[in-house]
Amino acid sequence: MTRYVAVLLQTLVAVALAPGLVGFIRWLKARLQGRRGAAPWQPYFELRKLFGKEAVVSHTASWIFTATPFVLFGTSVLVASVVPLIVAPAGRFLIGDLFATVYLLLLGTFFLALAGLDTGSPFGGMGASREMTVVALTEPTVALSIVALALNAGSTSFSEIVSRTLVQPSAALGPGHLLAFAALFIVTLAETGRLPVDNPSTHLELTMIHEAMILEYSGPYLGLIEWGAALKLLVFLALAANLFMPWGIALSLSPAAVAIGLLSFVAKLGALSVAIAVLETRVAKLRLFRVPELLSVSFVLALLAVMSTFLVR
Amino acid sequence: MESGPGVIAACYGAGALLSLLLARWSGRLALVVSHLAAAAGAAAGLALSLGLLLGEPGRTLIRPLPNFFPFAKLSLLIDGLSAYFLLVVSVVAVAAAIYGPAYLRAHSPDAGSTRQAAQGFALNVFLGCMAFLCCAGDALTFLFCWEGMTLASYVLVVSDDRDGENARAGLLYMVMAHGGTALLLVAFLALTERAGAFDFAALRAAAAGLDGPTRTTLFFLALGGFATKAGVVPLHVWLPRAHPAAPSHVSALMSGVMLKVAIYGLLRFTFDLLAPVAGPLPFSWGWTVLFVGTTSAVLGVLYALQQHDLKRLLAFHSVENIGIILIGVGLAMILWRQSTGGALATVALTAALLHTVNHAAFKGLLFLGAGSVLSRTHLRNIEELGGLARRMPWTAGLFLLGAVAISALPPLNGFVSEWLTFQALLGGATRFHGPAGLVIVFSAAMLALTGGLAAACFAKAFGVTFLGRPRTSQAEHATEAPPSMIAGMLWLGALCVALGVAPGYAMRLLDAPTAALLHGPGASAVVTARGPLVLSTALTPSGTNGTAISMTMVAALLIALSAIALLLRRGVRRAPQRVAPTWTCGMTPTARFDYTATAFAKPLRLVFAALYHPRREVTRETAGTPYVVGRIHYAGEIVDLAETHIYHRVEREISALSQLIRARSTGRIYGYIGFVLAALFVALLLLGVAY
Repeated sequence: MTRYVAVLLQTLVAVALAPGLVGFIRWLKARLQGRRGAAPWQPYFELRKLFGKEAVVSHTASWIFTATPFVLFGTSVLVASVVPLIVAPAGRFLIGDLFATVYLLLLGTFFLALAGLDTGSPFGGMGASREMTVVALTEPTVALSIVALALNAGSTSFSEIVSRTLVQPSAALGPGHLLAFAALFIVTLAETGRLPVDNPSTHLELTMIHEAMILEYSGPYLGLIEWGAALKLLVFLALAANLFMPWGIALSLSPAAVAIGLLSFVAKLGALSVAIAVLETRVAKLRLFRVPELLSVSFVLALLAVMSTFLVR
Repeated sequence: MESGPGVIAACYGAGALLSLLLARWSGRLALVVSHLAAAAGAAAGLALSLGLLLGEPGRTLIRPLPNFFPFAKLSLLIDGLSAYFLLVVSVVAVAAAIYGPAYLRAHSPDAGSTRQAAQGFALNVFLGCMAFLCCAGDALTFLFCWEGMTLASYVLVVSDDRDGENARAGLLYMVMAHGGTALLLVAFLALTERAGAFDFAALRAAAAGLDGPTRTTLFFLALGGFATKAGVVPLHVWLPRAHPAAPSHVSALMSGVMLKVAIYGLLRFTFDLLAPVAGPLPFSWGWTVLFVGTTSAVLGVLYALQQHDLKRLLAFHSVENIGIILIGVGLAMILWRQSTGGALATVALTAALLHTVNHAAFKGLLFLGAGSVLSRTHLRNIEELGGLARRMPWTAGLFLLGAVAISALPPLNGFVSEWLTFQALLGGATRFHGPAGLVIVFSAAMLALTGGLAAACFAKAFGVTFLGRPRTSQAEHATEAPPSMIAGMLWLGALCVALGVAPGYAMRLLDAPTAALLHGPGASAVVTARGPLVLSTALTPSGTNGTAISMTMVAALLIALSAIALLLRRGVRRAPQRVAPTWTCGMTPTARFDYTATAFAKPLRLVFAALYHPRREVTRETAGTPYVVGRIHYAGEIVDLAETHIYHRVEREISALSQLIRARSTGRIYGYIGFVLAALFVALLLLGVAY
């Protein structure tokens, strides 16, 4: 029972932390670019404002448009509740499967693409088309990264992967893990709409992907989507952090272990955020038709990860 | 249960005959009665198969048939595998029979009674042949039903003839189907000739004495035959032409069921009849099937992506899904009876069989949905549709359900079988090191790519058809389909949800076929070891650690969390909502602003340009100066590599050959008599040398 309470609490922490993560990356980017930037907690104010505003819905939109924010938020929270965040997942927890997690996130993306088409806006369709292209092309890399992790652990369940990496620290620093980490990091950038695949702060419709899909959303609907997207970013960073570097994660529910877990989780997220902020300051956005090249690089990295796993065993 | 096959035969037979008889009075009556009889036959099939699958394990029903031929004893043999495929046939047949009459009336109201009689007759023959093919106990019954299935479906394909297109599709279908049947005939007759009898037991005994190379040759002959029927790349060219040409409920049967009957044949022939007495299957079999399965899955979905004819798009997705099934089958062949295989072969076969019924359910549903759009708008090109979600809410909702299921998204059934296939592949990769393992891993990556591309394709198919604004007046004035058509779709939709949310119960149905085929543990002992609501697999031989997933819990949590989000939105502050036009940079929005299917698929068309060889022609009509464009005409096309590189080449060779012969044909009758004499002379000479 306490296990379920712990999972519930850590999910709430993740949901609460997600907008701050986005704000932190924005603030850091501003600083790196020599601007003062808004405070890291600015997204919370934005969410509060959005939830109080009037929603404008297109004439053309059907129920898909209004249902999508809830589906997206629902899948993001569900995924946040199953990935390892602060407390190591228990073996008996029944959704903690890496493959299922990836497809749950895809469900949210699928609905978002439909919502983009629903309003009949050319920008929405453009965003939907590009988003589905990028997502489809990341899938093989995701699968190979899963395989690379699962070959070591003998399972795709989070608890097995985390516990195996904790038992065998040498495997975590082996070439298989490092290459898979690199591949998954590129996938994270692509799936969460970060540079060099998509520019999260762009306002030029013709280059947008994620922002183009949600162009017609406003008010509470936009709030839910922004929150869900922030949570998705947090989930991907948590996966990258805790599947490859699980150290510090709470193995028991004692207060000390949970405190260390929380601290290490925040520290890992911070480190990865710094990496993203530095990267986004250093690189320019790729042309859309150069993105497949980046994704094929990640595919090759993941394939090498699997091959080296075969060689090492 | 003993009388089950008799009842099924009586229903389908009565349906076929009544259709012909009643059509003299009223074509509509004939249609309704024949479809009702088909529904009764399907219900009887459902009852029989469920009784066998859930009854005592290992039960086999054997029924002798009347002696039509003096040289062969005919019989029916219904074991677990037969019963399972009978179930697949019957499940979709129920929906098609409910859906059919209203669809045919709406789609072609001016059809003559002859056509209606033929459609009712052919539908019953088609269903009866598929049902009894799965229950055949000897090669002769099997091949008779196989041929009957082909001929009846041909009649249905060409029954809807508006232009020459269907007739050409039917001809191609006939040629390809008979090419495949010829290969099957050789494979079966080679066995019956050794056995001296036609029944499967005798064939099995005869196959036991075969040497390795002969066995493998027979396998590849059969694989060619079954793969042609199943539409495996590159033998798929007939499928995307013939399936859409048939009436939509028949398309649902052809894509959802007829392809699966070919899978049944492959499983029966390989695992049951041809397999060596002991030891694993020859190396080349499983790897070939895995390879063609992976290729079909990826190429099928890639070609589907560029189709804008809704039914053709669905037909290409059948090529993809047959590929996914074959990945499971191939893996089961590779792992079966391997010393390290353990229960993994069972997992692979379970994944394949589960995907068989899953695909039957969602593809049936999608074809019926496409049919209701077609019958209301008489349009198949999705570029001309749009905005149907508001006009046909039931059809749209059910089509979306099917789209989510086929894109392998949780919590519906497509995800479950793809998850199992992926787990089986992962298990295979842990068994094999080096190149073999890498091939399996690559197959897993391609499976994931297939899933992603399918999601992209159905975002396009659903989005462009049902969302946005209507692009033509037909789409604008569409109304919802009649209740009987929706009922047929609801049945399959409910099945998609049930198989997705509680797949553990379907595993009980898979016990008998997996045990009958692999002689190992049943599916539920391996996959639902931790209770019916949890799917679990153990990838390592020791079986200690594995992964588990409860789809019931995923679905419950997903609904609960979305509901909480909804309550939060309602509860915090009742913010007002306003309806306004879509923002289009200040211009008045029209349907021309909607993103088209061609545009939606463009990024992927460019990424995979090497496979598509896309061609585009843009012509501009300018008004005097080149800076004012009056009108732009765009034409784009992609090619099917198999078609251009294999079939067109063969076609060219044949034409060249006939040109050569033509040069020798003078048109004078004595010239031809001379040819005949020369041919006879050569034949006699050869015969003399041979003896």
